[in-house]
Amino acid sequence: MTNDQQILDSLKDPSTRELAFRHLISKYKERLYWHIRKIVLNHDDTDDVLQNTFIKIWNGIGSFRAESSLFTWLYRIATNESITFLNQRKRKAMSGLNDENQFLIDNLESDSYFDGDEWQMILQKAIATLPEKQRLVFNLKYFEEIKYEEMSQILETSVGALKASYHHAVKKVEEYVKSHETRIEP
Amino acid sequence: MYEEENIEPDFMKRPPKNPFRTPDSYFESLEDRIMGNIKDQTKKSSSTRIIRFLKPALGIAASITLVYMLAYYPINKFLLKDTVQTELTDTTGTDLLNDYSINIASIDDNSLINAIFTDETNIFAETNPDEFLAYLSTGLNDVEIYSEIQN
Repeated sequence: MTNDQQILDSLKDPSTRELAFRHLISKYKERLYWHIRKIVLNHDDTDDVLQNTFIKIWNGIGSFRAESSLFTWLYRIATNESITFLNQRKRKAMSGLNDENQFLIDNLESDSYFDGDEWQMILQKAIATLPEKQRLVFNLKYFEEIKYEEMSQILETSVGALKASYHHAVKKVEEYVKSHETRIEP
Repeated sequence: MYEEENIEPDFMKRPPKNPFRTPDSYFESLEDRIMGNIKDQTKKSSSTRIIRFLKPALGIAASITLVYMLAYYPINKFLLKDTVQTELTDTTGTDLLNDYSINIASIDDNSLINAIFTDETNIFAETNPDEFLAYLSTGLNDVEIYSEIQN
């Protein structure tokens, strides 16, 4: 049962629902994990958000109308859950406008499952300083190579606006990396 | 205007690499943990649903109990108790019930008839039938009868 339509059909039948949902988790767990991880950065937070995402999917699968592909629908839920998580953290911090970005940088530095080198840390910090929308677009395009049309369905934004966001994001990341990579020892 | 072909900054010349990793075997047990969480959440939400369903009824019951405790019970306990005690003085409820209770089984038909008619028969016996008939035929009203008696 690897086809999305087969999974969806089996999800409608109460006797096969649980098994079909296990197949769905199995098929999408890694892609959703890495998508969430790029947004919240820390493994433990990603694990929480991923579990909540699948619980939301389980509760909402009955309302899925196949107007978009299953993949974009799952990505949309994962993105919304990640943003909700970051906003909750931001509200808890209760100070300053730049808290989310600082929280992300702190999250990145404290993550024991970061295996990148110094340059990659600079790149991740550069991405963490971007505004939310630009950060999402940059991650989806740069790391996951998702097409603008699919991204448009996931983020419910026009393709033109997404291209503009990506353009601004790339410029900002470039500036940040240039100004910080000179400090890297050869 | 924002076509990606026009954007070729230096950092993009390096191939994108995922710098993150996960704990060992993280993905292997994920299905079980997620399904376990879903079952827990379903149990929790069903018990919450029952509580939500019972909430109004429990609220009404609690309100009634509270009103009873605050108003009805103290009134009965303290105010009415004083009134009843004054009225009954030293007669207890049980005594009162015994005084007024009639053992119907111990009364036969004859004694019942005697009880009803004995005294009345005596009253009629003391009255002269002629006087009684004369009284009925006069058609006097109460005031006239009273003045006749006085005279």
